[in-house]
Amino acid sequence: MDEQQIRAELREWILAHAKSKPSGELTDQTAILETGLLSSLDIVEFVLFIEELRGDEVDTDDIEPEVFTSIDTLWEGFFGQAAG
Amino acid sequence: MAPTPHARTLRDGFLRAAERHADREALTVGDATRTYAALRDEAFALAATLDAHAPDGEGQLTAVFGHRHPTTFAAILGALVRGHGYVPLNPSFPIDRTRSMLVRSEVRSVVVDPTAVGQLEALLEGVPAGLTVLVPDADDVAELAARLDGHRVLGRADLRPASEATLGAAEPDGVAYLLFTSGSTGNPKGVMVAHRNVTAFVDVMVERYAITHEDRFSNTFDLTFDLSVFDMFCAWERGACLCVPTAQQKMFPGKYVKKQGLTVWFSVPSTGVLMSRLKMLKPGAYPTLRWTLFCGEALPVEIIERFQEAAPGSICENLYGPTELTIACTLYRWDAERSPAEAHLGVVPIGEPYPGMEIRVADASLAALPRGEAGELLMTGPQTTPGYWRDPERTAKAFVVPPGETRTFYRTGDRVVWPEGKPLLYLGRVDNQIKIQGYRVELGEIEAVLREVSGAEVAIAIGWPATSSGADGVVAFVGAPEADAAAILDAARERLPSYMQPSAVHLVETFPLNANGKVDRKALRARLEADA
Repeated sequence: MDEQQIRAELREWILAHAKSKPSGELTDQTAILETGLLSSLDIVEFVLFIEELRGDEVDTDDIEPEVFTSIDTLWEGFFGQAAG
Repeated sequence: MAPTPHARTLRDGFLRAAERHADREALTVGDATRTYAALRDEAFALAATLDAHAPDGEGQLTAVFGHRHPTTFAAILGALVRGHGYVPLNPSFPIDRTRSMLVRSEVRSVVVDPTAVGQLEALLEGVPAGLTVLVPDADDVAELAARLDGHRVLGRADLRPASEATLGAAEPDGVAYLLFTSGSTGNPKGVMVAHRNVTAFVDVMVERYAITHEDRFSNTFDLTFDLSVFDMFCAWERGACLCVPTAQQKMFPGKYVKKQGLTVWFSVPSTGVLMSRLKMLKPGAYPTLRWTLFCGEALPVEIIERFQEAAPGSICENLYGPTELTIACTLYRWDAERSPAEAHLGVVPIGEPYPGMEIRVADASLAALPRGEAGELLMTGPQTTPGYWRDPERTAKAFVVPPGETRTFYRTGDRVVWPEGKPLLYLGRVDNQIKIQGYRVELGEIEAVLREVSGAEVAIAIGWPATSSGADGVVAFVGAPEADAAAILDAARERLPSYMQPSAVHLVETFPLNANGKVDRKALRARLEADA
């Protein structure tokens, strides 16, 4: 899967699980946790989804919460070149 | 300013710590920190400002509208400095319900933090004019004042210096905080907690846990949940630091424990379940924790076992208590050797009453039952609160003088059993015991079997479909998305009599939680209703 596909998959998942409709469009910069789009309950499923997408386990001890700020930070933290 | 000349109230521990530990951290929220001196000065400035603009006929309560922001914590202390009790209002809760709390509490002054300003107009819609609304972080309130016509809106420029504050008169019998808890029917009930109730609680806790100024407390609870009172006032009683995660940080509790070097962890068991699911409970993960505390719902043995392994240097305790008995009133210390055998149906015992608190296990007529017989838990002692705000009817129903007694006991609505020489066991809500086809059934027993046969950490049984006398059967939700529902049903059939066997098992990834982070049974029932 290329970058655009992964970003689209993430966006689709967030929209499908959002507690409320995002005000305006869900961009790659929209804050997904602080704005309450996703709750702590969704995080469990979301992490499983990310593991599925990247084909590798996510070590929640090692990641910074900031990685979950937006689609941009998710891409960089889990899929970009810096991702371990 | 000199310490209080009055009888002891909730603010005194903080004020004493602010003298002794002026330069130590009292509070950290996100990236912001406050020393004791800074937090005291903010609280005093807010108190002086509110006192200077006190509306006519103001009572003894001040509302705090905010969430996870330093101003909100300063405002709680500011209310207490005034000699008032505080009424927490949560901007992330449904605004109509919050407005009804504001109106019913009859407060005339509200402090608003920056996270709540956007909701202020909606909060005050239709509220009788004449409130003092203090938004201490707002540089310019002219526009806001225009929209909130009829109320006195104050901003940063209106703040009075801390030196102008005077400690308002406060008595041990006065209300320290007013918290609204959901009533099973109708309006939320406002529980009045008196200073003498909460100082009795704080004294027991800080002694038991030997809290010092080196400690760092978690704050996983919203301020509208009374367990937050433990976090704030047990920390501040001894000069320790309260560590408040942001909403985002709260989603990754493990990381926050490490980053802040927390020594005292306190959460609902559901947070532990979440951490377990996110693989955050690896052995030895949290070496800084001295105490691991749970309260608020039934605590599964597996969760406390995993947490104990993750925080091997900590002592794990299970606390129990309704808001009406001031935060917690029984506790149980987990012991890896002894405790598994003391657990009942996979749930950790709730232990022993706090010093000074007394237990009565009673039948439906409130007559005391012999030790070892299951019944409703009634308690009395220094933590028994005065009752519900402006609600003598519901107060009289819940706060009772049982036959042969002269003291007032609170009826918890919880079923317990207290065998001789053993810890008190929580069996479930009195109304979790339902009649199914005429048989008396404890839903907790079905849930324990389901947890065991499925390996899931959480299983919830619901009497379904409901009838006027109880239910015709049981439907279950099991937190094991990959499991085989038919196999679970088969295994449960071998363990349960026919009237207790679920007719269906729904496998779920996660459970809906209510506002306080507990499993929301009503939401599960609503799912069944929607599917029916």
